Amino acid sequence: MRIVTDPGSQSWYEASARQRIAALVDAGTFEEFLGPAERAMSPHLPLFDLPRAFDDGIVVGRGKLDGRPVLVAAQEGRFMGGAFGEIHGAKLVGLLRAAIASKPAAVLILFDTGGVRLQEANAGETAIAETMRAIVDARAAGIPVIGLIGGRAGCYGGGGLIAGTCSRLAVSESGRISVSGPEVIETNKGAEEFDSRDRALVWRTMGGKHRRLTGAADAYCADTVAAFREAAITLVGTAPAFDLATLEAEQARLEARVKRFGDCRDATEIWARLGVNDPDAVPAMTDAAFAKTASSVTEASHDAR
Amino acid sequence: MTDWRSEKMARDARIEAGRVHAQGKVVRGDAVVDLLEAVLKPGDRICLEGDNQKQADCLARGLAACDPTKIHDLHMVQSGIVLPEHLDVFETGIAKRLDYSYSGPQGGRIAKMLYGGQIELGAVHTYLELFARYFVDLTPNVALIAGVSADRDGNLYTGPNTEDTPTVVEATAFKNGVVIAQVNEIVERVPRVDIPGDRIDFVVEADTPFYVEPLFTRDPAAMTETQILIAMMAIKGIYAEYGVRRLNHGIGFGTAAIELLLPTYAEKLGLKGKIATHWALNPHPTLIPAIESGWVKQVHCFGSEVGMDRYIRERSDVFFTGGDGSLRSNRAFCQTAGLYACDMFIGATLQIDLAGHSSTVTQNRVAGFGGAPNMGSDPHGRRHPSDAWMKAGHEAEIVGDPALMRGRKLVVQLVETFGDKLVPTFVEKLDALELAKKTGLQLAPVMIYGDDVTHIVTEEGIANLLLCRNADEREQAIRGVAGYTEVGRGRDRAMVQHLRERGVIRRPEDLGIEPLDADRSLLAAKSIKDLVHWSGGLYEPPARFRNW
Repeated sequence: MRIVTDPGSQSWYEASARQRIAALVDAGTFEEFLGPAERAMSPHLPLFDLPRAFDDGIVVGRGKLDGRPVLVAAQEGRFMGGAFGEIHGAKLVGLLRAAIASKPAAVLILFDTGGVRLQEANAGETAIAETMRAIVDARAAGIPVIGLIGGRAGCYGGGGLIAGTCSRLAVSESGRISVSGPEVIETNKGAEEFDSRDRALVWRTMGGKHRRLTGAADAYCADTVAAFREAAITLVGTAPAFDLATLEAEQARLEARVKRFGDCRDATEIWARLGVNDPDAVPAMTDAAFAKTASSVTEASHDAR
Repeated sequence: MTDWRSEKMARDARIEAGRVHAQGKVVRGDAVVDLLEAVLKPGDRICLEGDNQKQADCLARGLAACDPTKIHDLHMVQSGIVLPEHLDVFETGIAKRLDYSYSGPQGGRIAKMLYGGQIELGAVHTYLELFARYFVDLTPNVALIAGVSADRDGNLYTGPNTEDTPTVVEATAFKNGVVIAQVNEIVERVPRVDIPGDRIDFVVEADTPFYVEPLFTRDPAAMTETQILIAMMAIKGIYAEYGVRRLNHGIGFGTAAIELLLPTYAEKLGLKGKIATHWALNPHPTLIPAIESGWVKQVHCFGSEVGMDRYIRERSDVFFTGGDGSLRSNRAFCQTAGLYACDMFIGATLQIDLAGHSSTVTQNRVAGFGGAPNMGSDPHGRRHPSDAWMKAGHEAEIVGDPALMRGRKLVVQLVETFGDKLVPTFVEKLDALELAKKTGLQLAPVMIYGDDVTHIVTEEGIANLLLCRNADEREQAIRGVAGYTEVGRGRDRAMVQHLRERGVIRRPEDLGIEPLDADRSLLAAKSIKDLVHWSGGLYEPPARFRNW
């Protein structure tokens, strides 16, 4: 009775971490490190009487992308919202450090995370910092680090910070990137500032289309694994160098962004200033129509990072 | 000499007092309190319109702002306790006694006020039961209702959410009561006359459009594989077996999953046209794929659903619509349809006990009933046969003259063995009993009585209670599908095995269902956006359900 489909056509949003990797890299090339059989599990969760996962919610390993060797990490958003814990973080940091030794064509990080696990917050926060450091080291060694974001949990908290250090990001409409989540903002600043139940507002502010138009993400994909694969291949080939010029360009870009849009009350105002003709139509646009709109916005594509 | 027209004269006096604050029938939004203080009298019986969907919220705010020294001790007879103002009036003393039906979002506060004795409670009713009492012993003196627009003569357009309005107006206007309507706008000519103007005494221009709760929207993205498995079992083990064509669905995720499996799983089973063709149902967005695939012949609605209006307009072969093109809903008629013309009610609940009694009341919440106990009951007044009804009747009663055996309504409970926050659904004793004891209620608020329930479906299997021959079998049949709850673990294994051999209990494998096949890929729509695509862009989901 199962509906059999081409793995590439499956929804990225719906797929598990393992399904995403299997269809993202060249068929049959993925080799997992420290897989579930090794039982590398959180030492902290049992203290809270919480169930553990054999892979601590992250799959890491190597494979080939379009024939070239890559290292891949995929967070499983369905286990504790893909949150960072000690083992989870250590697997990602280890993978990034291995990249410096093995010199793959790229490291791909498939984000799907709400941030740090509250139950192992110190270890999780440390893992975030170590991951950012390891990404910088990998990029400095000439290895592009590409983030792919389109999962159910989005890319929040420390995940949002890590995404900011990547060489390139690809995002789908349902993907969200931010540091504080909608509920956190509402709790701290009130529903008048940000109504977390207004999901259209959440997506306008943190969703894939907005992140693409403002240049926070470098590619916009339809919600299929095949589209993410295609984006990953392209982004590996266009990753900017990691040098002083790139960092200065990024600093200048971000300063200009605050200056230009700092007084906007809603994302639609930003889109209007970016030259989008009918900003209110953006959320309902099809992927194809949106891709066309995004390509006409000059600020959306840049070599800063 | 007896004066047989005293009620009429009292009514005329109320109208005259109210006219001071009106221009003809029209009252400005800022004069609501003055109007109500002029028309209402202490001790009045008031129907403040509001159910699980639309709310006469402007009038509710006005009533709550009345001076309690002028207006007090009211007896509220209303479908829903939904807005904070509905309970505020009991705190200030404006109202004293309450007869109602549904109290979703205010369930926690109403429980506290009942315990605290701030509300003198008459009874918690089903919708149809409360409507019936409007015509017998709970006839309102004043009705406060909501519509979309009205003209200066009071002709009222309720829009797609007609709901309770005709019933409330009928009971009030024709028994010397006063009817006050809030509308979003006064117009020269209404799109269609839902309530003739001579039944409306005052029309208030509301400050904001009346509120409607999108209660019947279930996001396919939140549907779990367990819910899909339960839905597959229900389709194969109940819909197909009994050939259920005429039915009502509850609002849970389980029934929404069934709706989304019709064009996929049920289509593969060859059931199109054989099941689920005629409905008493609100316009559930999750029914769109089944409608678009040609499964659904006809749907009559209690109310509308936020965002569905444009879609309904374009699908008048399926829905009941007026000359203006928009939906005409009617809660009283649809409840009657659900009671007498449907062969099955299927819905979820929070607690089920060993006798099959179910309740949505928990220690801290009194959610009320709405319509479920009405549609989830076997109507003894039914006389027309149907295959599903007759088959169920024969299963329940195997001896006697077949021509004298009545059929049975299928009443199906669709539950996961553990509910929200892993609270067990199956219990030895309903919390409703504790509530009744604490508040001195004569009747425990039971949603569906055990003797009305015919099937319980969980992820562990289907228990067919029609086939149980005594209370012992019934208890073991329920324990036999109660999974790892205390109730489930307390089963008599031998007896459960015996019941399974008799087909009283059926596991997924007995139905030819492989649990690993229960996959989200079976859903005809996996997100709200998919539903928008299915509708050809006609469905306009509210902001809180969008992720784009």
